[in-house]
Amino acid sequence: MAIFKLGTMTLKSVFKKPETLKYPYETKEPYEKQKGFVKQIDDTKCNLCGICSKKCPCGAINVDRDAKVWEINHFKCIQCQYCIMSCPKKSLEMDGHKPEISTEKKIEKIEINNG
Amino acid sequence: MEYIKKSPWVIHYDGSSCNGCDIEVLAALTPGFDAERFGVINTGNPKHADIFLVTGSVNEQNAPVIKQIYDQMLEPKVVAACGICACSGGIFSECYNVNGGVDSIIPVDVYVPGCAVRPESIIDAVVKATEVLEKKQKELKCSKQ
Amino acid sequence: MAKSSVIPFGPQHPVLPEPLHLDLVVEDEKVIKAIPQIGFVHRGLEKLVDIKDYNQFVYVVERVCGICAFGHSMGYSETIEKLLDVEVPKRAEYLRVIWHELSRIHSHILWLGLVADAFGYESLFMHCWRLRERILDIFERTCGGRVIFSVCVPGGITRDMDKNTLSDIDAVLDGIKGEYTQLCKTFLNDTSVKSRTIGVATITKSQAEAMSMVGPFGRASGLDYDVRSLKFGAYADLTDFAPVIDDQGDCYARMKVRCAEVFQSIDIIKELISKIPDGDINVPVKSNTKRDKEVSHVIEQPRGECYYYTRGSGTKFLSRFRLRTPTSQNLAGMITSLEGCDLADVNMIILTIDPCISCTER
Repeated sequence: MAIFKLGTMTLKSVFKKPETLKYPYETKEPYEKQKGFVKQIDDTKCNLCGICSKKCPCGAINVDRDAKVWEINHFKCIQCQYCIMSCPKKSLEMDGHKPEISTEKKIEKIEINNG
Repeated sequence: MEYIKKSPWVIHYDGSSCNGCDIEVLAALTPGFDAERFGVINTGNPKHADIFLVTGSVNEQNAPVIKQIYDQMLEPKVVAACGICACSGGIFSECYNVNGGVDSIIPVDVYVPGCAVRPESIIDAVVKATEVLEKKQKELKCSKQ
Repeated sequence: MAKSSVIPFGPQHPVLPEPLHLDLVVEDEKVIKAIPQIGFVHRGLEKLVDIKDYNQFVYVVERVCGICAFGHSMGYSETIEKLLDVEVPKRAEYLRVIWHELSRIHSHILWLGLVADAFGYESLFMHCWRLRERILDIFERTCGGRVIFSVCVPGGITRDMDKNTLSDIDAVLDGIKGEYTQLCKTFLNDTSVKSRTIGVATITKSQAEAMSMVGPFGRASGLDYDVRSLKFGAYADLTDFAPVIDDQGDCYARMKVRCAEVFQSIDIIKELISKIPDGDINVPVKSNTKRDKEVSHVIEQPRGECYYYTRGSGTKFLSRFRLRTPTSQNLAGMITSLEGCDLADVNMIILTIDPCISCTER
């Protein structure tokens, strides 16, 4: 009978650890190189060349050379990591934690002080 | 009594999405990241629901459908745009048939980034939407008195 | 004399995962005709080839469909490699096939859960999606993402797997196999499932050949066609591969074919893990495309045979890219199978066909 076939599986799950991750009381640490959000490692390596802005498939990164500002719109970024792979100074990295939700769309601006 | 709140019911519609965010919305309601611990149920009837989860961008053919579902919901109601295609059009914002994100036709209260959006972010969005819902409920009560 | 009326079905319905509109012409609870209307998901992404070069366009093709995402990036990369005459290292081919077969297992387990939910069997839906979380955990560990991976690019792959990860994948698949066997037996041996699906919406072999159906939908009607037997890539190193075929052609046969394909994929992955060679995983690809050179390629997605066509333009931009997905080939079969059925069976028949509307409309 079908009841007993699924019944053994259900009975075993009473004694095993639950499979649910009880978010937000429990969180899971992200794996190595998990997709999260793109950020600058520190603001001294970037030389404002603009290669990341040209390679981005959806135009989420903007580089302003005169004002020395590097900005990224997290609400347009598809987390493909093409900018990280093409940066010649290796100044970008992917943080594995999930991006923050918000009630309005903000653009993140970072000032570059590479002297 | 502050920790006991009413559980919101959720209705989900997929505008022109690739299905990645839709299966993550369903995964937030199944064991794994169970949102039914908080009493959240996925319903199919707009008149039963408090929160409208939209995924995917808007084109000419599904704009009237999204507007109809939004108009049928009862006050107070909250809209959460899940995924970057719903927030701003995403990688398809330059296509000829895409008009943009969901906020080009209905007012959006919570924006959730990610491609595809993680189920933990969806649970965060439902919690934040419940806070916005409570504020709107209070305003509705005050304006009626 | 019964009068006919028209009932609209979709695009927003609790059992439909995707927006599709059908006008059902009904006479007294029997469906006479089904008139489809699609276009809710059309984004027009093939035109983006004019403004994005072939390295950036792989991220657009991946997002055609979230369930068959890895298949599309693999098919596109193999087409571009044929266009530029680039040879990919053997280890990259093996890893691509391992990820693609894991994607197929994931798609079929997801499908079984949705069918059980449409049947009213909600606890089986929860059990299937619980098993699916273990495969998504493998994807998160190896590629970084759960649904969209961005790992397969023209020239190879961007991430490698070490020996520990490969033996862990083996252990997880053994665990899934035991539980999945129980779920399949429970579902397929149930008397109410059998009486609701045997003999319903039958498509004969001659009808299937006339409409050129592909995938498990065609193989359940007796058509013997599977692209994996053409031996492209790492499929050439498998010892024996025979497609799973059934000749009844009704809904029950389609369910049996999909359930059997999961076991076949588990065996393929185990064989490839034991034979994987060492080596490089990537070859740099930077050259311009040749003007007016045309290339076409096929792969076997979870829903059937998918066809890719591209044409070069002399620069780094392609001049044309066209993609023909399995569900758009099976639409004629879907409309034929709906004629003559009961109104209450419509959602179950649509789900046994496994439609992927966002693949159809791109």
